[in-house]
Amino acid sequence: MLLVLSDDHKDHLCFLSEVDHAVVSEFGRIAVEFLKKGSNSKIYEGAARKLNVSSETVQHGVEGLMYLLTESSKLMISEVDFQDSVLVLGFSEELNKLLLQLYLENRKDMRQILSNLSPNLPHYHNLEWRLDVQLASRALRHQVKPTVTLKLHLEDDGMRRAHVLQTDPATLQHLIQEMERALADLKSNHCRRILRNIK
Amino acid sequence: RFRFCGDLDCPDWVLAEISTLARVSSVKMKLLCVQVIKDLLDEGIDYDKVSKLTSDAKFESGDIKASIGVLSFILSSAAKHDVDGESLSSELQQLGLPKEHTTGLCKSYEDKHNALQEKLRESSLRLGHLEAVNWRVDYTLSSSELKKVNEPTVQLRLQAQNPETDSTETTVVSITADKFRVLLTELKQAQTIMNSLQ
Repeated sequence: MLLVLSDDHKDHLCFLSEVDHAVVSEFGRIAVEFLKKGSNSKIYEGAARKLNVSSETVQHGVEGLMYLLTESSKLMISEVDFQDSVLVLGFSEELNKLLLQLYLENRKDMRQILSNLSPNLPHYHNLEWRLDVQLASRALRHQVKPTVTLKLHLEDDGMRRAHVLQTDPATLQHLIQEMERALADLKSNHCRRILRNIK
Repeated sequence: RFRFCGDLDCPDWVLAEISTLARVSSVKMKLLCVQVIKDLLDEGIDYDKVSKLTSDAKFESGDIKASIGVLSFILSSAAKHDVDGESLSSELQQLGLPKEHTTGLCKSYEDKHNALQEKLRESSLRLGHLEAVNWRVDYTLSSSELKKVNEPTVQLRLQAQNPETDSTETTVVSITADKFRVLLTELKQAQTIMNSLQ
């Protein structure tokens, strides 16, 4: 499938055809760095001074590259499709090859970063437990009541919360059985067929 | 199948990292154990010493982390399941750790066995620690409702840990003499039961 670039995007990327290939590679490296660690506007100003253009042009060029990379990695487009999409910009053959190489080298990392951006439910962080026996209370002496106290630590978007739960051994057994049943479901034919087709 | 794993199978990663451990000399391994035990007892681990100890065997940072991890697991798991030094020694040798290394490890383990178990006992799950109790006895002379009240009251300030947020919360209660007497009797009964268990 082809990538459709907006007119603004094409304008921003046009700047790349006016500079050396070495500069384009450098911009490519900066774009990947920014995608991994966040952007730094000082770099735009430094590059703008060296190339004798406005820092806004440099910023648009790098951001255009970043967007090109993320969109292509997101859609996981093939080499041929990438080359066809980039053809529209009217760049030289060498520049096209450079862009293709930039895409292929960084695709895997891009996809990993992008996968971390989807919304998340709170997930398991840690589980502490304790087995107690209640022997007496104010109301009743000479009891033998086993209980399991659990502290479930969950992590949600960087925030940690703990939930304190208590259960008796029979309910705990039931919990364990249900969860083992869920795990065993993974190995059923239905699930296996689906997983095979996704791979 | 292994006592130090709680009568379960030994995890695959432990098996794999035991061969990493065997690359260090047995003397260095004993010193490594001392460092790991210090870390488990929250006394602080000296990473510089650790990298010096492992530099002969040319450990990369991944190997260093793995060897600290596997030693932490073996020592804390053995303390958790109350395994004695000899059983630990024979089980580790079964897994392929050379004899000199095993002897060094088990000697360190036996030396600090009690301290490790104490530390693990302290860090067991406890909900809502009571951290401090302060009290004050007041005598009310008079109030807006009644001219001569003449009643003693106890004010109790309890500082306890919130089980879900782990932060300290303060609760202040004021108790009349009768209610306080009941509270004291009930608590003394609970204390008697606790003492009978020790």
